[in-house]
Amino acid sequence: MKVLRLAFCLVALAAAAAGTALADGPAIGAAAPNFQLTAIDGKSFSLADAEKQNNAVVLVFIATKCPYSNAYNDRMKQMAEDFAKKGVLFVGINSNSTEPVEEVKEHAKSHGFGFTILKDPGNKVADLYDAKRTPEVFIVDKDGKVRYHGRIDENYEDAAKVTSPDLKNAVDALLSGQAISKAETKAFGCTIKRA
Amino acid sequence: MLRRAHWTARAALAAALCLSPAFAPAAEAPRLSGELDAKGLADAIGKQKGKVVLVNFWATWCVPCRQEFPDLVRLEKAYRGRGLAVIGVSTDLAKDLPAVEKFLAGTRPDFPNYRKKSGGDDQNFIESVDGKWGGELPYSVVYARDGKKARVLSGMQSYADFEKAVSALLK
Repeated sequence: MKVLRLAFCLVALAAAAAGTALADGPAIGAAAPNFQLTAIDGKSFSLADAEKQNNAVVLVFIATKCPYSNAYNDRMKQMAEDFAKKGVLFVGINSNSTEPVEEVKEHAKSHGFGFTILKDPGNKVADLYDAKRTPEVFIVDKDGKVRYHGRIDENYEDAAKVTSPDLKNAVDALLSGQAISKAETKAFGCTIKRA
Repeated sequence: MLRRAHWTARAALAAALCLSPAFAPAAEAPRLSGELDAKGLADAIGKQKGKVVLVNFWATWCVPCRQEFPDLVRLEKAYRGRGLAVIGVSTDLAKDLPAVEKFLAGTRPDFPNYRKKSGGDDQNFIESVDGKWGGELPYSVVYARDGKKARVLSGMQSYADFEKAVSALLK
């Protein structure tokens, strides 16, 4: 009976610990959880490989139907091109259970996205990172550490009136070896629709 | 005599019809109660001290927000007698004000709804509500009768979820 009770307690503790890890996601400076997913063009993507091949990797949780995410379509497209010139890989991740891969492909095509887009079946990567909304950004450096978490900028409504280009500032600071002054930012966004 | 009785009956019928809900002037559609910033929200919550307060953050562009809102309207009606107060906060932009008013007219909440004041950095407002909130919508915060934050509900909730969050605090 005592053995059974001990086993039960261990399982409960393990579950609680796992729950805590899921609920918190990686902190700034912590190791970015590795993952492998298939891109919408059918190619396999490994974060560990991407880290080695680039100066940094920008992961952005995106959506096809969210107005906040869609407000950034042109900005994301431009940033992906600008970042690529600096050796920074821009990756979109769609974790919404309500948006099937065919819809994600069509959305990417209609907006002319040239960057890698991954479908996250069962929102496993969103859970690993505790990503809650779209758009939501994580920057992972060459050493596999999370260096920035938050928004693209503070003005979803008007790209011309942005006063705090937080993602761009973070990438620039990282590449120039400077400290990222605002490593965590927040903004309103759509909840990721989990399975 | 008969004619008088006839007209009296018709007058009584007309009066009854006028007093019936079908002939009563339509109740005015609920409208926004105003705009607020972080301090305004804290004040609005503070005014409800002694009650369990559920603050719901929503937007007209947010589909799950629109889906859960009728459950909040129902919840408030069911539990107001036991001390529940609900406050809605729209995060819509000023240009979407007509959509906000249309949404309120359609859902007819009996509780006040405000629009988050435009300007400033949303991050300050988000953090003033809850340091762990990333800004995802919908989002609800439940305050106990003593004004202390008791529960946060991230993402769309069912009626049962809302009920569970408030009922224990209403005891």
